[in-house]
Amino acid sequence: MSNTEINEIEQLANQEYKYGFVTDIDADTFPPGLNEDVVRALSAKKEEPEWMLELRLKAYRQWLKMVEPQWPNVNYPPVDFQAISYYSAPKQKKKLNSLDEVDPEILSAFAKLGIPLAEQKILANVAVDAVFDSVSVATTYKAKLNEMGIIFCSMSEAIREHGDLVKKYLGSVVPAADNYYSALNAAVFSDGSFVYIPKGVRCPMELSTYFRINAANTGQFERTLIIADDYSYVSYLEGCTAPMRDENQLHAAVVELIAMDNAQIKYSTIQNWYAGDKNGKGGIYNFVTKRGNCKGVNSKISWTQVETGSAITWKYPSCLLTGDNSIGEFYSVAVTNNHQQADTGTKMIHIGKNTKSTIVSKGISAGFSNNTYRGLVRIGKKATNARNYSQCDSLLIGDKCGAHTFPYLEVSNPGAIVEHEATTSKIGADQIFYLNQRGLATEDAVSMIVNGYCKEVFKELPMEFAVEATKLLSISLEGSVG
Amino acid sequence: MIEIKNLKVAIDGKEILKGVNLTVKPGEVHAIMGPNGSGKSTLAQVLAGKEEYEVLEGSVTFNGKDLFELKAEDRAREGMFLAFQYPIEIPGVSNVNLLKTAVNEIKKYRGEEQIHALDFLKMIKEKMKLVEMPQDLLNRSGERRFFRW
Repeated sequence: MSNTEINEIEQLANQEYKYGFVTDIDADTFPPGLNEDVVRALSAKKEEPEWMLELRLKAYRQWLKMVEPQWPNVNYPPVDFQAISYYSAPKQKKKLNSLDEVDPEILSAFAKLGIPLAEQKILANVAVDAVFDSVSVATTYKAKLNEMGIIFCSMSEAIREHGDLVKKYLGSVVPAADNYYSALNAAVFSDGSFVYIPKGVRCPMELSTYFRINAANTGQFERTLIIADDYSYVSYLEGCTAPMRDENQLHAAVVELIAMDNAQIKYSTIQNWYAGDKNGKGGIYNFVTKRGNCKGVNSKISWTQVETGSAITWKYPSCLLTGDNSIGEFYSVAVTNNHQQADTGTKMIHIGKNTKSTIVSKGISAGFSNNTYRGLVRIGKKATNARNYSQCDSLLIGDKCGAHTFPYLEVSNPGAIVEHEATTSKIGADQIFYLNQRGLATEDAVSMIVNGYCKEVFKELPMEFAVEATKLLSISLEGSVG
Repeated sequence: MIEIKNLKVAIDGKEILKGVNLTVKPGEVHAIMGPNGSGKSTLAQVLAGKEEYEVLEGSVTFNGKDLFELKAEDRAREGMFLAFQYPIEIPGVSNVNLLKTAVNEIKKYRGEEQIHALDFLKMIKEKMKLVEMPQDLLNRSGERRFFRW
């Protein structure tokens, strides 16, 4: 490819991060540092019951005994956990009864992000829970959902008001001791979303959470728990943004999904945390544990992720296919540019009979970035007739980036069928010239090629978000090539 | 409409076109013939704006504009169309999407109104009927068959 083309594509990949603003609000922030007292203070702040505090302390003590994992294919200086503040919340004088009482500064921050918090935007048909730093500021459409028996609220509220459900399922899919960051999260998670869909109910709208890190030097540790009871269906979407800051910030979330008999959960993520500047300064460390348990027979969990942000992404949304005939799916587009690093993929653990899983991973690396797919397909002894199909594609833009694939297959049942396909490609000068010759400018040509490459994943996204993902992709690739 | 004067073009330091002169007026159809390696493709590619070619000498005016001042996409928007001997595959991009985008890029350049997806589909279907082209070509794209349970 010619130099001019490379330059153009590089410019394209270097657009500015438009969510980088900081909202000036009065915040109630803990001083940096972590010890048992901080965990107690956090729990007290959230007016939690004793059992929750016990869970947190147990997790904290567990975490102390653990070491940070070194196996991911990412490099970063050690995180100083004592330099992080574990709680920051917009100051508010009393409990909020409606959206009208939310600080207008916060509402305007979410408006800038294009999130329809105001309930009057009925047309959007998306129920939103918004988490600002450590707390959930507003959940829309609650009343409408309540009528159907659907619970959609912040995790703090769920702990207070739906304690039985939380107690039963929290940590049942991702135990605190699962890994270093899940233990940390269990000890200090501040908020997140809770969803319960009762038996036989098909949730009529997309449920959505927008996570926003605002305060400096804070970590965001959110916790999401979604339970879909027998014969129910829910589609859930999360979006994430953060201000541009020179220092790295830690985001260590845990998401647990539970699908009962014949239930289906569709979980989509558009991750656009601040990725750091062109030279790799700043950005979010996105160390996340996401796992779903297809607990019931014929249940299905589907993960779709579009990962464009974060300095470092380290996450493997996984499925435990426990119930017979259950289905797990993972569709991923992970884009890295400049100095971003991503080590992401999935785990499909086949336990029940006739379980099926599909993995479609599309990595796009540009600039000096490194993009790794890491996946595990494990077929247990009793998983007769299990089937898996995996497809891992890598697209390289430029000659200074890297794409890596680590697929692990562990098959203990002789009747299983496991397939793995992988490709690595570059955007060709011929493709660009062909599109130029049809009237497309180089940047539009690259965008068309990249979107075509991602189509299999984008078509899994809810319509409204597919459009957002397409736009986001062209922004993230500003300044890249091959 | 197009005026090529004393065009000399090289690729990888090797001179391929050694002074081509050609004037094409509106409405005229010209066929350029010659043995393999005589420079037919080079002429076509250099007119369309492929970058590997080096123009050593000469000039080309297209609709009164200096062709070499225009980027490949602007030449296309001015009406220069190159039919590819071996069309390039863009995985995941359907024919109809590519055609619509191309048409709208050209309309945008000419300051014309964009054609809406539905109107475009209607138009293209009529045109396809005219030339008896199978309709399923529209949504086909160069992609490998994706596995489905």
